[in-house]
Amino acid sequence: MTVASIAPVWASGVCAGVHAAGSRHVVYVPDNPLSHVVRTFEQSYADVRLVLATREEEAFGIAAGLYLAGARPTVLLQSSGVGNSLNAITSLLLPYQIPALMIVSMRGDASEWNAAQVPMGRALPAILEAMGVPHVTVDTSDRAEALTRQAAATAFGTRTLGACLLARRMTSAPA
Amino acid sequence: MNRLDATRILVECAGDAPIVASLGHPAYDLFAAGDRSSNFYTWGSMGVASSIGLGLAIGRPDLRVFVADGDGSLLMNLGSLATIGWTAPPNLVLIVWDNQEYATTGGQPTATAQGADLAAAATAMGIAASVTVNDADGLRAALARARTAPGPWMINAKVTESAPRAKPPLDCVFIKQRFMSAIGNPESATRGEPA
Repeated sequence: MTVASIAPVWASGVCAGVHAAGSRHVVYVPDNPLSHVVRTFEQSYADVRLVLATREEEAFGIAAGLYLAGARPTVLLQSSGVGNSLNAITSLLLPYQIPALMIVSMRGDASEWNAAQVPMGRALPAILEAMGVPHVTVDTSDRAEALTRQAAATAFGTRTLGACLLARRMTSAPA
Repeated sequence: MNRLDATRILVECAGDAPIVASLGHPAYDLFAAGDRSSNFYTWGSMGVASSIGLGLAIGRPDLRVFVADGDGSLLMNLGSLATIGWTAPPNLVLIVWDNQEYATTGGQPTATAQGADLAAAATAMGIAASVTVNDADGLRAALARARTAPGPWMINAKVTESAPRAKPPLDCVFIKQRFMSAIGNPESATRGEPA
């Protein structure tokens, strides 16, 4: 086994939580920490279909179509990309009560080094709250599976969005 | 060929198949041409109709999925052509009502009025079955092939603007629930539970 194929515990937990909640379709825009999640789905979940979108608003449109098709969609994106998603979230998913699970890789929180990532990262919880989108911060690996599964269950059960914010202190920690 | 006439041809060719309509005039004309429970009218998210259609086509490979988009809308989400070309769902038919203007917002010209070629863009992004049609016969012929031949299809239909006189239902949840029931995926929350 190569080092590259060993997923961090948090990434394995996120994948297990998504899968346990019945989500079999994952739409994503690439991000460095999320590459562990994508790779784990590719290597260990043959029944999960991954779709790479060019931009986050597009990803939410694809997710909405998947929901109409009877699926439970998950969207993986970086916190900066939530800014690219706001129109699709507020004028498609929320008014039509189309649910999706958002797995957000945080930038701009503790241990950030890039100033360009800070304003959106800091604003994100308040932006989600202003839209009425429930969110939970996942900052310890051993809780990743349960928190992801619970957020997904609420989202799909109550037909709204739900967001898991993956803290940078967790996703950037040495494995 | 004006957009309402073109939309009537689409409804006639689509049978019971789902049609996703971009907000504004494409959705208004779809309602006027024939309000069907398998119409999904968007009221916002300009640009995203083709992405909704892509997700639907991936999730329901047994259905032929039609999208009624606009040139201005597709220009907002051109990356969608790359994703459709890459994922290549054979059951997706993306139709663009190309009137060369942002008609819903007051008639400002789009880039297609200056020669931007959306069918060529689709071809360049890997959507092999991409055509431009200029009249009703051309549209009928393209849709007749797209209804059964493997896609994904991109049909860029040159149309003239025709001021819509009707609007679809405003209730977004009603639109969604009616649509999902029509295509056989009723939301569990709309069904009762056994005692």
